[in-house]
Amino acid sequence: MTITATGLTATRAGRTILYQSEMRIAPGERVGLVGASGSGKSTLGHALIDTLRAAGHGVAHVPQSPDEALDPLRSMAFHWREAERALRSPPCPARQQELFAALRIAGGDLCKRPWSWSRGMQQRFVIALALIGTPDVLVMDEPTSALDPVVAAGTMDLLDRHLAHSDTALVLITHDLGLAARRVDRLMVMDAGRIVEDAPTAQVLASPTSGAARSLCAHRNWLELPC
Amino acid sequence: MLSVENVTVRRGRAQVLNDVSLTLAPGKTLAVVGESGAGKSTLIAAILDLVRVAAGQITWAGAPVRRCSPALVMQEPRRAFNPHLSLRRSVMEPLEAQGHVIDTSHLTTLCAGLEIALDLLDRRPTEVSIGQAQRVGILRALIAAPPLVLFDEPLSALDAVTQKHTARLIADLQREAGFAALIVTHDLGYAAAYADDIAVLRAGQVQERTPAARFVTAPQTDYGRTLRDAAFALGALERVA
Repeated sequence: MTITATGLTATRAGRTILYQSEMRIAPGERVGLVGASGSGKSTLGHALIDTLRAAGHGVAHVPQSPDEALDPLRSMAFHWREAERALRSPPCPARQQELFAALRIAGGDLCKRPWSWSRGMQQRFVIALALIGTPDVLVMDEPTSALDPVVAAGTMDLLDRHLAHSDTALVLITHDLGLAARRVDRLMVMDAGRIVEDAPTAQVLASPTSGAARSLCAHRNWLELPC
Repeated sequence: MLSVENVTVRRGRAQVLNDVSLTLAPGKTLAVVGESGAGKSTLIAAILDLVRVAAGQITWAGAPVRRCSPALVMQEPRRAFNPHLSLRRSVMEPLEAQGHVIDTSHLTTLCAGLEIALDLLDRRPTEVSIGQAQRVGILRALIAAPPLVLFDEPLSALDAVTQKHTARLIADLQREAGFAALIVTHDLGYAAAYADDIAVLRAGQVQERTPAARFVTAPQTDYGRTLRDAAFALGALERVA
């Protein structure tokens, strides 16, 4: 069933930074929330998380950098147990094995603290944490910008493959239309705290209607090469 | 000509750079790409004489690089400035310290080229956007007209649209001023679009050096292909029919 979040809004210091917005997300759908820095993408992502959680939906969040998700003084095993406890789910080694295999972190030593793992493995661990409870919606905020390109591409490919067999919807927040174009079915374009365009990815890329979308499309990638 | 000859840098027992040799001719652009930990930023530190070189030598026109007063553009623009000073003071202070006479018309021309309003320089780094701060970072680097400018991930803190705009401004200024640019970047798309040559660094060693136009179609090494394919997978490069 399609999830709907209405009345999404936010103010900071008396200034509206997110105007009344609405999001509808179908099961298994992949939505890209794109726009320039300061356009309100992350704010909308946070408002969406709060609203959906208040309505009883399972929502998981993957921040830009694993540093924002992992406590440097706690072991990886501690983080896993804590996430299970937060979901009130009993320890499930089979689920852990399944997610670790899907995200290729099966070899990681859970007794170690985050900084003993590589950045790419840390970020994939955070994604695995987010997927423990099979959330209705997974919100990822610039999930690859702290990773180098080889690791970033590999991480997104693994996630794509895992989500292909799942009803978990993905909301990918990014300033990079080139990345979103590869990964999502639908694009929501933000500008100055408003959703200015909401259409299938191919349609936005082929005929953007808003100024913000036109600007993103014009600067989508660095080079286009004849194949 | 910048000449890096058989340079090795050690940190503890690890060799961060291992027998690296590269050259960069005046006015040309060399992009150094590679994954995190490949030694890219250490290469910049070695060229600037900020780390001890265990073996090899680095020269500009046959003399130590320091003598040509190379400039550096840093990754995090707002952290590259003293937060307590106006941007104008931060731009001017190194010049005054070196006894340069500040040519106002040169400043005005550079600001125009970088699309910096002159009154923006009266603000502090925290009072401007990241994109504006990075353009002032480039202004500070170019104001003394150095023959060699080193860029350490100059665009990675910027959003995608601002990245492309800033890359164009850098290229236009380089065409006018003629400095040699060594750009360290994760972003192969940027390197392919703007550099003359691409050098791939991995685990402290140069894997290949290839003209940029050829690199995107035919990298010489398996690792070069991996980097190129990642750029396609992330949408930095696009295949079109």
